[in-house]
Amino acid sequence: MELLGSQNLAATPDQVWAALFDRDVLEQAIPGCESLEQTSDTSFVAVVKLKIGPVSARFKGEIELSDIDPGKSCTLSGKGSGGIAGFAKGAARVTLTPEGDYTVLDYTADVAVGGKLAALGNRLIKSTAKKLTGEFFANFTKALTGEEETPVT
Amino acid sequence: MIPSKNHIGQSHRRKNALRHLAGRGRFVTDLALPRMVHAAFVRSPMAKGNIVELDVSEAAVASGVVRVFTAETLNHSCVPWTGTLDHFAGMQSGAQNMLASSEVLWVGHPVVMILAHSRAEAEDACELVMLDIEDEDAVVDGDAALVKGTPLAAEGINSNMCFQTLLETPDLDDAFARAAHVVEGKFTFGRHTAVTLEPRAIVADFDPSTGQLDVHHGTQTPYQFQDVYARHFGLSEGRVRVIAPDIGGSFGMKLHVYHEEMAAVAASLMLGRPVRFVADRLESFVSDIHARDHRVTARMALDAEGGILAMDVDDMTQIGAFSSYPRTSVAEGNQVIRLMGAPYQMPDYRGRLSVVFQNKVQTSQYRAVGHPIACAVTEALVDRAAELLDLDPFEIRRRNLLADDAYPHVSATGYQFEKLSHQASLDKLHQMMGYEALRAEQTALRKQGIYRGIGIAPFVEITNPGASFYGVGGARISAQDGAVIRLTPAGDVHCAISVTEQGQGTETIIAQIVADQLGVTPDQVKVTTGDTDNTPSGGATWACRGAGIGGETALRAGRKLQMQILTLAGEILQADQQHLALASGAVVDKTTGQERITLAEIGRIATYRPDTLPKGSDNSLTAAQHFAPTGYPFDFTNGIQASHVEVDIETGVTRLLKHWVVEDCGRIINPLLVDEQIRGGVVQGLGPAVFEECLYDDMGQMTNASLADYLVPMAGEMPDIEIAHIETPTLDTILGAKGVGEAGTAAAGAAAMNAVNDALRPLGARISQTPMTPLRILTALGHV
Repeated sequence: MELLGSQNLAATPDQVWAALFDRDVLEQAIPGCESLEQTSDTSFVAVVKLKIGPVSARFKGEIELSDIDPGKSCTLSGKGSGGIAGFAKGAARVTLTPEGDYTVLDYTADVAVGGKLAALGNRLIKSTAKKLTGEFFANFTKALTGEEETPVT
Repeated sequence: MIPSKNHIGQSHRRKNALRHLAGRGRFVTDLALPRMVHAAFVRSPMAKGNIVELDVSEAAVASGVVRVFTAETLNHSCVPWTGTLDHFAGMQSGAQNMLASSEVLWVGHPVVMILAHSRAEAEDACELVMLDIEDEDAVVDGDAALVKGTPLAAEGINSNMCFQTLLETPDLDDAFARAAHVVEGKFTFGRHTAVTLEPRAIVADFDPSTGQLDVHHGTQTPYQFQDVYARHFGLSEGRVRVIAPDIGGSFGMKLHVYHEEMAAVAASLMLGRPVRFVADRLESFVSDIHARDHRVTARMALDAEGGILAMDVDDMTQIGAFSSYPRTSVAEGNQVIRLMGAPYQMPDYRGRLSVVFQNKVQTSQYRAVGHPIACAVTEALVDRAAELLDLDPFEIRRRNLLADDAYPHVSATGYQFEKLSHQASLDKLHQMMGYEALRAEQTALRKQGIYRGIGIAPFVEITNPGASFYGVGGARISAQDGAVIRLTPAGDVHCAISVTEQGQGTETIIAQIVADQLGVTPDQVKVTTGDTDNTPSGGATWACRGAGIGGETALRAGRKLQMQILTLAGEILQADQQHLALASGAVVDKTTGQERITLAEIGRIATYRPDTLPKGSDNSLTAAQHFAPTGYPFDFTNGIQASHVEVDIETGVTRLLKHWVVEDCGRIINPLLVDEQIRGGVVQGLGPAVFEECLYDDMGQMTNASLADYLVPMAGEMPDIEIAHIETPTLDTILGAKGVGEAGTAAAGAAAMNAVNDALRPLGARISQTPMTPLRILTALGHV
């Protein structure tokens, strides 16, 4: 399943870049984040509680940043295991482009789900993934700038 | 005289129908016992992987939770089970136990069992389990599974090939060499599953004070499970009672050993309290057995006149990570390659079977084991031959079907047919469906751009299997059945019998048969089934053996009791028992029909006044009888089906317009119930032909595992089904009945596929895959 999106952030690319690697910002941004532990410069372990359709579960996941082009782009890959709910894994390519006072963050994510999440069908998962992504960036923007932002797409 | 004989052959409504209609059904799902706990399972979300972390500490202290079991704490109590049988030479399968210990092998594989005061609390606690699995590449595709270097689907096997076999007549190659025509095809048959109205259900109740294990289990085969529970949990069989009350649909799916049921029994043994597991719909899709999943390559050799010389078939079937227990997962494929070409005079044959492991839900026996595949492949090739030779589908079959006077006959695959009625069935179908008029209508409608098709499919069905089916392979699965019939002190009749009732009317036909032996009405015969403590041991109901074997058992037990009653009556009346008979609830004079003494009076004297009987009289009014088939290894039945469809060539949607069945199940005990069996069977054959499929992605995830996405055939989509009969009783039994439960399923899909291809023929398109979804039809038409 592919997810595409774009977000205008009221900050410079360097500020956004720093926030992407900032444990505290990420902890506030990730929906349902219960804990986030930085295990190296480029990796984190997160526990996230989510409700997806009829399934609610705690996902324990690893997030890793790779293919890093500082200030411009990187790949976030992650695998989350949600016990009874199943699992999700995927990778997102994130690019930052300055545009006036804003930074445009584009992402292309490829996500695979398993277990109950897969069984319940793509329709539900896609809309939930979109919603969660939206929440993530709303939280991210808030943590970064203290402002509420609405996504461009 | 009130007619109290000849209930056999009459339509009687199911004895339990009114009770069910009144909401008085008693299913395992309804059962609530004191101190009962409810089980829920944490399952693998991955098709294959290693458990790297499993933390149940939070779940163990969650609200309402009584106990949490993992493989470490549960599996030691059960002797692992291995789904192999000796008569399938060279087959292999890994051993199974209740919970996954280190490796998970399909999406849905149970890992943790949580017992709580309610199912809701158990499910909530499941969400607190931390299960981390390092995923490995799953074996998803059967062809890929056999490529060298592909990882193994499970431990304990040396390759992904579970079983291979080859059947070949010596002149096969010669038959193809001299053939005037050869037609061929490649076919794919999807996976589907049973979707019973009541899901799998069990309440295991172990009483430590007596050492008694009672298992209330929604199964077809209580005696088989009594044996399984005794052996695998180290209990004496006499201390295990399996009770199978009302069952909301079974269809072969409820006679296999499942991890969850075994875990419920294990947990009850450890906790000393009742443990209930009822599968929910989501877990049913990833734990109930699936069916079919075949890829078949086949060719057929014909002479210049369209006479079938031979078939050459290769079936690859995909069964999951293990062979199921105790019946294996190879019986399906084994029947596929043995039923090919079965209705025809086909002298030569080669059939290859490859049964392959993969990381999906296990497949195993489901209604009409192997039949729909063999029938669809055979009949598709016969239709292709008809097209090639420009013969009408009826004509090519008329030329090839076994003649009705050509019996006994041994098929090229080794099946022995006592007597079948293919030619008479073909003629009856032709007349019944108004074939010529349908063809004329088809031609007329095509001019208007409406594409209708007619497909026919003769079939042979395996019923009444003897011990060669499972017993010879070492399976503790009974080929015999038992009945105990007694006359009560008030002159009523009670029959306890080992064949079971799942809604098909077993109890009704047994009452009809017994009634006829004892001169009473079926209403006066109470039938008890499904309880290992209260009925004699037997194979129960599967493989279309309930009526033929169970019915014969009841008949013989009834005749035994009849003799006892007549002997006693002769002594009471001081009459020659040769001159007495039973009718209208009484002992009557055989010649005049005049009543001599009522059954109630016999019951009264034998029970309350045995002192008045002549010295040495036997006052027993109970007869026990077991029966096992000893003649042909199976009683084959035959029939033919026709399907009329309309394909919308713009949308690819197939509308099923009408369906016809002519069927010969030997002696018909109850025409109403036989027709119900055929109709239900046809629906279960049409479902997977048009709608039903368990879809998997390339990671081994089942992607439509809910009733929102899995298409079950509904009444609105089903055609009217017209049924006619020919009766060719088996001479192996007194009753003469063969089975009928799987006949509808055997050929419905084959007829539908031929009908769809008949509709598509003028467009040069052809479909060889089921279900025949709109997308696949549009693909065949080249529209997508």
